[in-house]
Amino acid sequence: MVRLLAVIERDLKKFKRNPVVLAMSIIMPILYLIILGNSFQGKLRGLPLVVISPEAGPYSEYFMDNLRAIEAGPQTFTIIRMKDQGDAIAGVRQGRYKGALIVPPDFDKRISLKRRAEVGLFLDNTDGISAEAIRNAVDGAFRFLEPEYVAIRERNDEKYLRSIDLYRKVDYYQSLVPGVVIMAIFLGTLTTGAFNLVMDRFLGIDESYLLTPLSKSHIVSGLIISGLSITTIIATLILVVSLLITGIPFPSVIKQGTSLFIVIILTTLCLLSMLFVILGRIKHPRIVGVLSGFLNVILFFPSGAIYPIASFPEWLKAFAKINPEVYAVDALKSILFKNAGLSTISGDIAFLLVFTIVTMTIAIATFKRTL
Amino acid sequence: MQNSKAIEVSGITKKFGPITAVDDVSFDVTEGEFFGFLGPNGAGKTTLIRMLTTLLKPTSGRAVVACCDVAKNPDAVRREIGVVPQAMTTDLDLTGHENMDIYGRFYGIPSKERKERIEYLLEMVGLTARANDLVAAYSGGMRRRLEVARVLVHRPKILFLDEPTIGLDPQSRHVVWDFLRKLRDGDSITIFLTTHYMEEAEALCNRVAIIDSGKIIALGSPDELKSQIPGNDIISLTLDNLSANTVEIIKNLPFVHKVNIENNTIRVYVDSGAQNLPVLMDEMKSSGMKVLSATVHEQSLEDVFIHYTGKSIREEETKKVSLLLGAGIPQKWGR
Repeated sequence: MVRLLAVIERDLKKFKRNPVVLAMSIIMPILYLIILGNSFQGKLRGLPLVVISPEAGPYSEYFMDNLRAIEAGPQTFTIIRMKDQGDAIAGVRQGRYKGALIVPPDFDKRISLKRRAEVGLFLDNTDGISAEAIRNAVDGAFRFLEPEYVAIRERNDEKYLRSIDLYRKVDYYQSLVPGVVIMAIFLGTLTTGAFNLVMDRFLGIDESYLLTPLSKSHIVSGLIISGLSITTIIATLILVVSLLITGIPFPSVIKQGTSLFIVIILTTLCLLSMLFVILGRIKHPRIVGVLSGFLNVILFFPSGAIYPIASFPEWLKAFAKINPEVYAVDALKSILFKNAGLSTISGDIAFLLVFTIVTMTIAIATFKRTL
Repeated sequence: MQNSKAIEVSGITKKFGPITAVDDVSFDVTEGEFFGFLGPNGAGKTTLIRMLTTLLKPTSGRAVVACCDVAKNPDAVRREIGVVPQAMTTDLDLTGHENMDIYGRFYGIPSKERKERIEYLLEMVGLTARANDLVAAYSGGMRRRLEVARVLVHRPKILFLDEPTIGLDPQSRHVVWDFLRKLRDGDSITIFLTTHYMEEAEALCNRVAIIDSGKIIALGSPDELKSQIPGNDIISLTLDNLSANTVEIIKNLPFVHKVNIENNTIRVYVDSGAQNLPVLMDEMKSSGMKVLSATVHEQSLEDVFIHYTGKSIREEETKKVSLLLGAGIPQKWGR
């Protein structure tokens, strides 16, 4: 026990003497929340749309009003008025606009005569997401094209679908919080634990403790425990800051706090042990750099933190079954958004626990006690 | 009184793929002895020390260190030995005292005993005043001294040092030597050292094994080893041009034992070098040879090495050291 504590203390002291690493481990996940939150934003906004419309009658005027309503409300697009059809389409081709909407001069006339009336929407379909958003918004404006008010009467013989939200509303920023916490844990575990072993090896100072009577488990578990304490502090800090920024309500600090703390600790242990298995024999920190980006992508993106797992193809779903970050995200979402207790997330906790035990056993068994 | 063995090595071999780094080496070290392994870089010294200190598993052969077989019971061996590896291994982000304290805890030494021992050792190596500074702020010499002090915290029976003064300036080197001598005389500890500095082996060791290409080529006390080469002095002559005839003439002089040629330098093994140098010079002059320079020196372990291998350790080492220090080489080095 004395020896284990010495391994832990050595590691913690060294970490403490490098405040830049500590500061970056805290700042990066928060920046991540801000940048990811603002770059995806859930819904698209402000897409430049060129509109050519004669506004020669009630229909085209009303259509234009609908478009302006969308511009002012959901702000899906920003309207730019133009006169020349050729210029408008060329602008889209040059990438200045995401789309060009052209209402022909005989639009009102054709509708009045109950003839087929068309508007043209030229889209930059290479940017599929923007194109789809504009198409849907314009389609909405087009469908409710009524020049005069028609009262909507409820009819008894029509079928209605009423959807009921089971939980309180979660906005896009809030929905990112579990992912940000997991990201913080991943970054924390990557710069502690096994990484310190790789650094010691790289600097050639691992010899000093390989020459002592420390056992394999002293070295491995000592580094994991010091990594755990550092990462837990960072992750907890990030969680608190994220909750404050996004305003997620927190009914019971004691009950929810304990559950969150358990999930954070288990997730950290999971990732630390897993990284020990992967990095256990690596001698150069550059390899850690290369692997870190790769691991982050293959663990984080399919974790359900950004996109629902249910929509994954089968093979990716199979991978999600053994990805510890999936269980961690699920547990955090349940606690934060569904107010779930420990019993609800017992499946997640069981997986994280088993994963930790298995990987830590492998890490100790495969650790090489010689040079 | 029967001297027990601190280290017993028999037929130890280490292969890395096709390369045999240590080739069937056998020797014993008696308790309390200061034993040196002398040889050029790449001779297999570090590989050997790593096998003896449990860091590498021998390919074949066996080694008993302190109490136990290094391959069968490495943990017990680790408890009894202190090792200063060639590379500096103290933590730069910790202070000198913290480095020693944490190391002591790796051995499970109780805190009171640890504290006293660390204070004593820091005093011994002259680092008491800098004990609470980060090692990152230490000079190379200070760090090296800390390395040595640190591995003595648990009172090892055998101290292993792999090139303990490599890259140190002559002054720091002497500080380390004095410390090791004090240790040898005071603490009855067995010391095993590897070095490629002749001077170091000669100044410190009771017995020296000369190693080249993984094999021991000579073993004995420095005096025994030197007595194996003919004559007691060596005259080195640098000539304008060298002919077989010249070598013949020198060989036939009555006080000459042996002649060795390296490039355009002739090494002449003689008795009473100082008296015979003028005779040799006259002889060269009368046979029409132009001598560019001449030196006389007492035989050293370097000459033993040359005697056995026909090449000098110094040749390649001087280049490396000069690069390391970025300055000229003091004349006496290697001689």
